[in-house]
Amino acid sequence: MKSKLVFMGAFAAVAVALPVGAVQSASFEGKTITIVCGFKAGGGYDRTARILARHLPKYLPGNPNVIVQNMPGANSIIAANHVYNVAKPDGLTIGTFNRNLVLAQLTNVSGVKFDQTKFAWVGSAASESTVLAIRSDLPYKNFDDLKKSGKTLVIGATGPGANTYDFPLLLKELLGVDLKIVSGYSSSADIMLAIERKEVDARAGSYSSLRPFIDRKLVHPVIRARAIESGIEQLPVDESFAPTPRARAVMALRSAPEVVGRPYVMAPGTPDDVVKTMREAFSKALKDPELVAEATKAKMELEFMPGDEVLKIVKEVLSQPKDIVDEFAKYIKFGE
Amino acid sequence: MIDALLEGLLLVLQWKAFAFMLLGIGIGFWVGLLPGLGGITTLALMLPFVYAMQPVEGFAFLLGMHSVVATTGDITSVLFGIPGEGTTAATILDGHAMAKKGEAGRALGAALASSLVGALVGAAALALAIPVVRPLVLAFGSPELFMIAIVGIAFIASLSAQGGRGMLRGFLAGGVGLLVATVGQDPQAGVSRFTFDSLYLWSGLDLVPVLIGIFAIPEIIDLVVRGTSIAGDMPKGRLNQGALEGVKDTFRHFWLTIRCSLIGTFIGIMPGLGGAVAQWLAYGHATQSARSAEERQGFGRGDVRGVLGPGAANNSKEGGALIPTVAFGVPGSSSMAILLGGFFLLGLVPGPDMLTTHLAVTFSMVWTIVVANIITVVVCFLFLNHLARLTLVRGHFLIPVILVLIFIGSYSSNNHYGDLLLMLTFGALGYLMVAGGWPRAPFVLGLVLGKIAENYLYISVARYEADWLYRPIVLVLIALAIAVMLYPLIQARRIRSRSVKHA
Repeated sequence: MKSKLVFMGAFAAVAVALPVGAVQSASFEGKTITIVCGFKAGGGYDRTARILARHLPKYLPGNPNVIVQNMPGANSIIAANHVYNVAKPDGLTIGTFNRNLVLAQLTNVSGVKFDQTKFAWVGSAASESTVLAIRSDLPYKNFDDLKKSGKTLVIGATGPGANTYDFPLLLKELLGVDLKIVSGYSSSADIMLAIERKEVDARAGSYSSLRPFIDRKLVHPVIRARAIESGIEQLPVDESFAPTPRARAVMALRSAPEVVGRPYVMAPGTPDDVVKTMREAFSKALKDPELVAEATKAKMELEFMPGDEVLKIVKEVLSQPKDIVDEFAKYIKFGE
Repeated sequence: MIDALLEGLLLVLQWKAFAFMLLGIGIGFWVGLLPGLGGITTLALMLPFVYAMQPVEGFAFLLGMHSVVATTGDITSVLFGIPGEGTTAATILDGHAMAKKGEAGRALGAALASSLVGALVGAAALALAIPVVRPLVLAFGSPELFMIAIVGIAFIASLSAQGGRGMLRGFLAGGVGLLVATVGQDPQAGVSRFTFDSLYLWSGLDLVPVLIGIFAIPEIIDLVVRGTSIAGDMPKGRLNQGALEGVKDTFRHFWLTIRCSLIGTFIGIMPGLGGAVAQWLAYGHATQSARSAEERQGFGRGDVRGVLGPGAANNSKEGGALIPTVAFGVPGSSSMAILLGGFFLLGLVPGPDMLTTHLAVTFSMVWTIVVANIITVVVCFLFLNHLARLTLVRGHFLIPVILVLIFIGSYSSNNHYGDLLLMLTFGALGYLMVAGGWPRAPFVLGLVLGKIAENYLYISVARYEADWLYRPIVLVLIALAIAVMLYPLIQARRIRSRSVKHA
């Protein structure tokens, strides 16, 4: 009985707080904020969400609880649909999902029930740059050697829709690099092993996931996509070799979401002051010395990009002319 | 080497590391018992707690937890016929059948004792493999992994009933399993297969709800229909001394236990095969030990060897799975992938260094697996016979509890109502299979191996075209697959000639 009363009370409080919230500054005292993560526990998206969940409460008014709920499936479309259609716009539900969902919307993937431009964007917690790394015992020092070699390079990949597949695919199709893409490895770790046993020559992947193997001198990066991370500024960018403006646009489109490596959103219609409070909390939490120390230990590089900047990128992606989108959809398939 | 071995042991026995290990064991104990709540998720949830720990303490905590999960998962499988973990489903076939015969104690004793043997073999393999690990793992490329999957599928011959009709049903069930494994988006062209426009089916079927459905639902219906306790009206005298008998069984079939442990270790070492495979291959191998037609038919109806095989394999594979994780920084299973995150947190870079500079830490992991399993098995034995009495509780008290557990267990895999539908669908299938006399083990084998076989075949052909067929290890494995397929025939002939001699 008592719990029922409290429950109804909470409902009433939310109902009252919604219109009033626009006037007063938002407070989360005694509340629980849920970060809905579109992937299973243990991956990069999940680990980022959990590290944030530990440090966000300090910077939110009223020091609420922040918990992570995993809602995996359909490459996180399910989680995004949930935040868009089911979650209340009260700031108590934050969603984090596959950065490529904007491309899923662009190419009309069935099952997408959200409009990325209408989310209340908190921002992005990291930028994830894709690089192509080749085995260090091969005689190619850089991308030019590779192009001139006249030999086919075997690339290990997981499957269409992953950067291990899409990035080399565009190098092959648009830049004419002689690549043979072998896909079906169950994880990027499996591809690393295939590199060790010389079954494949190279793999593409996010720089952060490749770094331990680059440090060990097993592989070295030769080309990257446009998103920049410290350590790979000097690498050539794939777009700079594009033979036509259209090829360039397709490559740019593939890599655009990488700048928004770890997207965080709230339900459409969340009051502006709640969004503002949340953006500030994210911005401060991601600079928190304890968080930074933990992230460094876990080899994660986190950096905040506020929601308005993210939204600009999202809108730019979604406003591409139809011929570019069609060209893009010829190569890239949204998937696992 | 010997120094590092001893140093590793001392590291684990330091009071702080030891205390963390006990804590880990305590958590792992419950995680294993509860169906659905898996060791993988728990590892991920516990990872943040190791920030403040020293490497040895952190690993004692994580590995202590992890190495117990498969052991206590067997307990749920035996007692209730629900897979406590995705990796302990094979124990149900004979373990739960024994429980129904009133031999729960013996089955539990056998499961625990074989788990301990398995863990020790796995740990020993990890220690022994350290000098040769790199060439060993590198010798197995995609063609070889594909052939291992084929050898696994060949075990269907052993998992099916004897005779033409039994074989036909077994291979059909296996075929359906392979087909079910194709659900979801394929990794070569990105085509959606059998997804019926449902987002839930995109990423394929989750193993846990399927296993819970196919094994637990028929048992529950059976329990309802019988209206008795799990052990029915069996004589109750045997329950109390059962556990010790199970331990004796382990030593009676000691070589089988060792062989199944080695199978588990080997599957563990091979990255990409996954934990669910080992138990089924071990079970298939255990059925091959039947010496007569009657003995063969006893499998699935409560033969203790059907408990020993998977019991040993699902523990020994953990030691095996650590090998590629430590030596290459490449995880041998999904739980090891999360453990790998733990390496970074603790400031260690997995790879060749772990076999030289940090050798003592590596050995401390070996010791953690050993010590954690010994503690768990000893503690479990203290109240094993009490646990066995649960099979005497009347069905209508048990069923509601079991139902809650299997619903929560299924739901926790994706937090999606689709998990429940999936569990119920495969529950219906499982019930029909049991009622119609179709074997479930080949179906599950097809399901767990389907994706592996498909992907590695594609990679082998794409990379080597037809040349992969001539690789020496592939040839050996082809011969092995044929031998495994023909074994039931050889077995049948041997049994016949023996009975002729007797006559």
